[in-house]
Amino acid sequence: MKLLEKVTKTEFLGREFLAWLWFRAETEQGVYDLPDGGKADLWFDGKITLQGENERGVETITCTGEAQNMKEARFALAESKGITQAMVKLGIGDNQWSFILDSTWLNFRTFKTPRVMQDKKDDPDGLFYEKVFLIEEAVAAVNEIYAYFMKLRFDPEWNEKELPALKKWIGEGR
Amino acid sequence: MGLISGSGSFTRYIVEGELDQNFMGTLSEKIAPYLFRNLDENSLDGRSMGWVNIMDMFDNRFSGLEFLKEPYIAMTLRIDERKIPPTALKQHCLEAENRIKEQENLEFLSRTRRSDIKEAVNLRLLKRAIPVARIYDMIWNYSTGIVLFGGTNNKLCDEFAKLFLQTFDFHLQAVCPYTLGNRFLEKEGASPDLLDDLNPSEFSEEK
Repeated sequence: MKLLEKVTKTEFLGREFLAWLWFRAETEQGVYDLPDGGKADLWFDGKITLQGENERGVETITCTGEAQNMKEARFALAESKGITQAMVKLGIGDNQWSFILDSTWLNFRTFKTPRVMQDKKDDPDGLFYEKVFLIEEAVAAVNEIYAYFMKLRFDPEWNEKELPALKKWIGEGR
Repeated sequence: MGLISGSGSFTRYIVEGELDQNFMGTLSEKIAPYLFRNLDENSLDGRSMGWVNIMDMFDNRFSGLEFLKEPYIAMTLRIDERKIPPTALKQHCLEAENRIKEQENLEFLSRTRRSDIKEAVNLRLLKRAIPVARIYDMIWNYSTGIVLFGGTNNKLCDEFAKLFLQTFDFHLQAVCPYTLGNRFLEKEGASPDLLDDLNPSEFSEEK
């Protein structure tokens, strides 16, 4: 199988990852251990885009709102639509990031880091390093959470425990 | 607005291959042919693309090796483009066509003639159009082999990957669930074939 075929065949992993993240966040399991001993808290915040295909073609649904449960979005998940984009917040220690995570490339869109302390005029290199550190910290945390998801996904526990719990939670959104 | 000076969106890439010992010493030479060059006021070029200083989009000289911020190579991709609004082009073409019809006492203009007029009008307006600059930061952590590029548009990302290859002679592989999954399996010492055998989970409960 060529690389592009493999990438296309496993596209569903990004959508599953986002659904799993939402489920985790909503069932008080959205805090993840980081290799340095710290913790990363990730939750959905405000906007979810779902997509599904049926006989009429591709259907896209965007749900926006304060209500964390977002019934319509969960209903769409129950109707076999997949999450393609979600606005998330990531907290590590006192720092907080916000960005839209995309299922296809796991891109970061409208990415906002915590406020930087360095000033561009006084110390341009200081600003550069502080900003890059903050970007890399968030990217590393998302990679770590994705690795945790992968570990679970390849483990028998996925089918025995995690997936049934996820399905039950989705079903409750009907 | 770039990633460093503001907020934005970005795509991640993995650099394919290893840096050789001479790589750092030849960086300036590699970058030089692909530095950003301003569009000449008198030229008819509609677009210019190249590297500028990540901390100053008007600096395309890198006299102090500003692209090197160990362990990063950091630059901004700047694209200047002159564009004529389609409505303005249409209006000016119509005006030119009417003038020619009147001068030459013609009732109709052939398709070829109208196409020539359009091209001439386009070139005339292009000279008057002010270029609009767009910037996209590129941060390459050469110790991890990860590149962050401050854009997500497919066409733009393809252009970036092409320029990266021309500049540094390295191919980029976009990060996606598959490549990240592969990295995870490699780290765990497991076979990457495991990913090929994975099937989607069914999320909806039987009704």
